[in-house]
Amino acid sequence: MKLINWLLVLGMMLAMASCIKKEPLNAECDIVGVVLPDDALNRTPIIENDRVTLIVKNYVNITELAPEFELTPGATIQPASGTERDFTEPQTYVVTSEDGEWSKAYTVTVQRNNAINLKYGFEDVRIVNSMQGGKYDEFLDVSINESTHQRDTMIWASGNAGFAMTNGTKPPETYPTFQANDGYVGKCVEMVTRSTGAWGAMVNKPIAAGNLFIGKFNVTIAVATPLKATQFGTPFSSVPRYFSGYYKYKPGEVYQRLNESNKLEPVEGKVDECNIYAVFYESTPEMEWLDGSNVLSDDNPNIIAVARLSDEQRQATEEWTYFHLPFVFRDGKTIDPDKLENGIYSITIVMTSSIDGDYFSGAVGSTLCVDELELKCD
Amino acid sequence: MNIRKYICLAVTVCASLHGFARSDVNKEDFTQSDRPGDIYKSVILGLEYEVNAGVNIGGASPMPLPAEIRQINSYSPHLNLQIGTTVTKWFGQDKKWGVASGFRFETKGMETNANVKNYGMEIIQDGKKLSGKWTGKVQTKYHTQQLTIPITAVYRINDRWKLNFGPYLAYAFSNEFDGYVHDGYLREGDPTGNKVSFEDDAKATYDFGSELRKFQWGLQLGGSWHVLKRLSVNANLTWGLNDIFVRSFKTVSFNMYPIYLNVGFGYIF
Repeated sequence: MKLINWLLVLGMMLAMASCIKKEPLNAECDIVGVVLPDDALNRTPIIENDRVTLIVKNYVNITELAPEFELTPGATIQPASGTERDFTEPQTYVVTSEDGEWSKAYTVTVQRNNAINLKYGFEDVRIVNSMQGGKYDEFLDVSINESTHQRDTMIWASGNAGFAMTNGTKPPETYPTFQANDGYVGKCVEMVTRSTGAWGAMVNKPIAAGNLFIGKFNVTIAVATPLKATQFGTPFSSVPRYFSGYYKYKPGEVYQRLNESNKLEPVEGKVDECNIYAVFYESTPEMEWLDGSNVLSDDNPNIIAVARLSDEQRQATEEWTYFHLPFVFRDGKTIDPDKLENGIYSITIVMTSSIDGDYFSGAVGSTLCVDELELKCD
Repeated sequence: MNIRKYICLAVTVCASLHGFARSDVNKEDFTQSDRPGDIYKSVILGLEYEVNAGVNIGGASPMPLPAEIRQINSYSPHLNLQIGTTVTKWFGQDKKWGVASGFRFETKGMETNANVKNYGMEIIQDGKKLSGKWTGKVQTKYHTQQLTIPITAVYRINDRWKLNFGPYLAYAFSNEFDGYVHDGYLREGDPTGNKVSFEDDAKATYDFGSELRKFQWGLQLGGSWHVLKRLSVNANLTWGLNDIFVRSFKTVSFNMYPIYLNVGFGYIF
C-alpha cells in the first residue's frame, strides 16, 4: 500500500511538473533604477511606486538632464530613457509592462540642496486615493527660491500608505496622520495611534502610531523590516540652532506593548508619551538616510546635532504648548563649510504620537497635534 | 473518532440494504437466524454486497495548470480515508453487465506549496478586503469530508476482474481551503499598485473555505480484482467535473477540480 502511495505521489508531481506552462510575460511596469551621467546625483535616487525624486548637486543644470532608467524586465518607457528634458518642473514618464496590459505614470522631480522651508504651518495637503477606495492626507510644503524662482515641493512622509492597506474605504480622519482644523494658527497636523485590526495583527503589527517626518516612507519593506521603512532626512545647507513650535498631547487610555509572541499586552500604570525631535547629520554613502534603528542612537557617528523634547515635555499637555529646543551638538562634531555648501549634511524633523511606535507599542488613541514649526539657523 | 463513526454508519447502511433486499422478496418466509440462506437468495437474485475501505490520493487542481503557477515545490496527499459500501446488481444469466451504487464516506485532502507569479489573492479580515497580485510562494491546504454516491455501470471481464464507470454525486459536510503566502511580494490591487514584501517569517493568511461548493459531481472509472472468495482489491479514479468553488467566487481566477485515486480493499458478502 505504501509503495503504491509513493508511486502515485511521484506520478502526480511529475504530471504537474510537465503541465507547467511557459513563463507569462511580466505584468509589472516599474522603474527600478535611475542613473544620471557625470556624477550629478548627491543622494541615491528615491524611487517610490509612482514617483522618483532625484537630489542633484548644486551646480547641476537641471534644464538639460537626461536620466537613464532601469525598468522591470521587458517594460518600455516613454519618453525613452536618456532623453534630455527640462526638470524645472517635475516631468512625467509612462512605463508600459512587457505584456502590454499595464502602464504606470511616474512623476520625476529633481531637487537641489536646501530646497526646504524653515517654517511649517501644515496648511496644504493633497488627498491620496488608496487602492481600496480610501483616502488619506499627504502634507505638502512649497518653497520658492528667491533668486532662481525655482519652486520646490517638499512632501512630508508618514506611515499612511502602509495603514491604507488595512483601512478599506475609510476617509482621512481615520488614518494615523491627517490634517485637523483647530490648529494653533489655521490648520495643523493631528497624529493618532490606531489599531490596525486583524490584518495588522496577522503581520504582527497590531498598532500604527501617527507620525510625520521629513524623509520617505518605504511601504515596500514596511512589513518585512519596519524600522528601516521610515527613511529620515533631506539635504540641508544651513547650520540649525533652534527648533521650535506648538504642540498638545493626550495619551490613550491603555498602554500596550508588543511581547515576544508578537501579541499586545497591557502594561499596568505605564502612560504613553509622544516624541518630537530634529536631527542634523552627515550623509555618507554607507548611511545616506537615518532610519528607525539609528536616528537617535548615541553611537551613530553621522549624527552632528539633535534637538528634542525633554522627558517632561513628552507628557500630556491639554493646551497648545510652545517648545523651543536648542540643537545640542555632539562631542567632537564640527561643521565643514565645503560639505555644508555641497549638501552633504541632512536634516530631519520627526513627530510621533507614541514614542515606541516603531516597536508597535503604545496606547491606541494617543493624540498629538503639532503646528507652526520653525527651524532657526545661522 | 471519525473512523469509528464511518464504520458504524457503513454497517448500519449495509444492514438496511440487506433489509431492503429481504423486503423486496417477501414471497418466502425468512427467519432472523437464517442468515446463510439470505445471502444465497441475494446471490441468486444477482445482488452483491461489498463493504470497502481505502485511501484517496490526489488533489484539487486547475486543468490545465494556469501560467501563474510556475513550480510545484511540494505536495502532500495527507491521509484521506474512505469507508463505504457498494451494492451491485447483475443482469442476465451470464452476469456480464451490472449496475452498482452505494455510499462512501471519505475525506479528500492535499497540501501543496507552489511558486506563483502575478497570482490573484484576496485577504479578508474584519470585513476589510485587501486584494492584489502575489508573486512568491503559496501554501495551500484543502480538506473536505464527503458523502459520495456513485452510480456506475459494471462490466465483468472474467471471474477475477471487473470494471466500473459512471457518474457520482458528493455532498461535502466539511469543507476547508486555506493557507498562506510567504517569501514574495504583493502588488496592492493590480500589478501597478504598491509593492509590499513579505520575507523570512512574514506571511499573510487566506481562508476560502466558505466559498467551497457543498455539492460536487464527476465521473468515476475503476477496476476490481477479486483476489479471494471474499476479498477484492479496488482502484477507482474519481474526476470532479465542477469547480470546487462557488461560481460567485472570483478571487482565484481559475477553476479547481478534485481528482483523486481511491485505492483499497473490499470485503464481499
